[in-house]
Amino acid sequence: MMRHLKILLLCLAVTACTTAGSVIDEQMLRVDGDMPADFSGAWERDYSRGDDVNQVLRDIYYYLSRTSADRAYTTRPGPVQPSSRDMQSITALARLAELITRPQVLTISQNDHEITVDRKDDFSLLCAFYDGVAKGTESDYGTEICGWDGDQLVSHLVLPDGLQVTHRFTVSEDREQLRVVTTVSSSTARMPFTLSRFYKKFERLPPDFNCVETLSMKRVCSTGEIEL
Amino acid sequence: MTPGSRFLLLILTGIMLQFPAITHSRDITALNVSISVFEPGVPDDRSLHRDLQIFPRIRDVEAKFLPFVLRETLVGTGEWGAVRVVTRPDRAAEVAISGSIVFSDGERLELRIRAVDATGGEWFDRVFSSRLAPDVDGADADAVYGRAGLYDEIAESLRVARDRLDDRAINRIIETSLLRYATELAPSAFGQYLTESDDGRFSIERLPARNDPMLDRIERIRLTEYVITDTVDAKFRELHEEIASTYALWREYRRKSVEYDRQNATRAEETRLDAPRGSYEAIKNLYDNYRWDRETAQEQDRLAIAFNNEVGPVVDVMEARIAELERWVDEKYAEWHRLLEELFEVETTLNRVESANP
Repeated sequence: MMRHLKILLLCLAVTACTTAGSVIDEQMLRVDGDMPADFSGAWERDYSRGDDVNQVLRDIYYYLSRTSADRAYTTRPGPVQPSSRDMQSITALARLAELITRPQVLTISQNDHEITVDRKDDFSLLCAFYDGVAKGTESDYGTEICGWDGDQLVSHLVLPDGLQVTHRFTVSEDREQLRVVTTVSSSTARMPFTLSRFYKKFERLPPDFNCVETLSMKRVCSTGEIEL
Repeated sequence: MTPGSRFLLLILTGIMLQFPAITHSRDITALNVSISVFEPGVPDDRSLHRDLQIFPRIRDVEAKFLPFVLRETLVGTGEWGAVRVVTRPDRAAEVAISGSIVFSDGERLELRIRAVDATGGEWFDRVFSSRLAPDVDGADADAVYGRAGLYDEIAESLRVARDRLDDRAINRIIETSLLRYATELAPSAFGQYLTESDDGRFSIERLPARNDPMLDRIERIRLTEYVITDTVDAKFRELHEEIASTYALWREYRRKSVEYDRQNATRAEETRLDAPRGSYEAIKNLYDNYRWDRETAQEQDRLAIAFNNEVGPVVDVMEARIAELERWVDEKYAEWHRLLEELFEVETTLNRVESANP
């Protein structure tokens, strides 16, 4: 039963992948008034929940076996082993998804027009809205854009060669739990790879020192007010 | 003479006593130069700032800081009279320099500079740029400002423009400058000496008498204003001294960041075809290229915040002091304007009475 549910979710993910170009539509780029949800705070990974990469890979293998079998049914009924090329490309996406979702702690700052998700050993995801419209980041290496899908914050990164990374952030009503669903897809893979990660909110201890970053003196700290 | 007019004369005499009368023996080629604080060149559309790598607060500091570097260069040439940095355009300046920052990162600095003399004659309006040599030592503050090239080039352009003028034209600039100042301060007394054409050129219709007491007052008031301007100018010097080393560091970091961008591009190009398409190595490489690019940009954002943390308080204090001085000048200017106009009225009436009753 559980496996069937996961397959259903996989099918939905495949459907989402086929419309990868419209992960974020025009409407999602606009915010009228306040941000729909508040993600600010420090979040640590909840290892008791979330997907296991190997299990997701096994489900995909099973799904591909079935769909390959459907396609090959006319010649030979029964499960068919997915091609090694298919599995290699899916495994590559899985490894990348695992790498991207590795950070144990997310620090999210949010104000009226900007959300920044700081991740250890990776670049910060930035979601900036100017006059209520999301502004993406473009460079020679990729394009990053974000938007709101109801209360969910969606960050979408489009890289060369059809590689795409999407993070979907959802915060619980009591703002104590955060779910991040990360989908990695590529034009070289038959289907995307999706991983869910859960985080719990934690309060950082108030610092013993007030610190400020400077250029010439680096980090300057004091127990009292800092005068430079 | 009425008690009121006696009082007015007393106040103006007070102003006059503070300064000796103007001598007309100045070196006429040494024109006074006013350099306005530059336009920071920050687009109104905030959404463009990140794309253009513009840090508005730092541009704002550069707009105040770089004119002083130009001032120092001009003073160093010994070719000019008083060179002052002013916060507002000095319309009556003998030579007024305005500028805007077109581009500024650690390697390249582009300034659009316009120089106009008091007659409204444009000396030049062009973009000056300098690029730091890749092997320059980051600690060499002069080199980091691009001062060696860019500011010398501006100074040379000014010199060439001035040398194209003969003594008569230069004299005309000095006279027009004083008359423009006088006209702004006491339009009733001096309005008839100057005309302005549609294209903004000023020409002298006639000159006031050398011993015109009103002109003498104007010259003394201008000196008073110069004292304040020099105090403001001294604030720019303090700013320069306080933040020069931090600014040099910022430029050095910016230069390194440009270098990292280049290294990122080289690495992306070199590793592009190494791994089979769709393999983990290939897609990780694509992700890493983007990651390094973003990390370089985000590191710059962090450095910009660090720069602001360090320099912000100094700039805030300077701005507050300058605002105070300017408020004082504005108040005094309005008062001088009123006094001179009233005095002109009193003197004209007296002259008419004396003419009618010789």
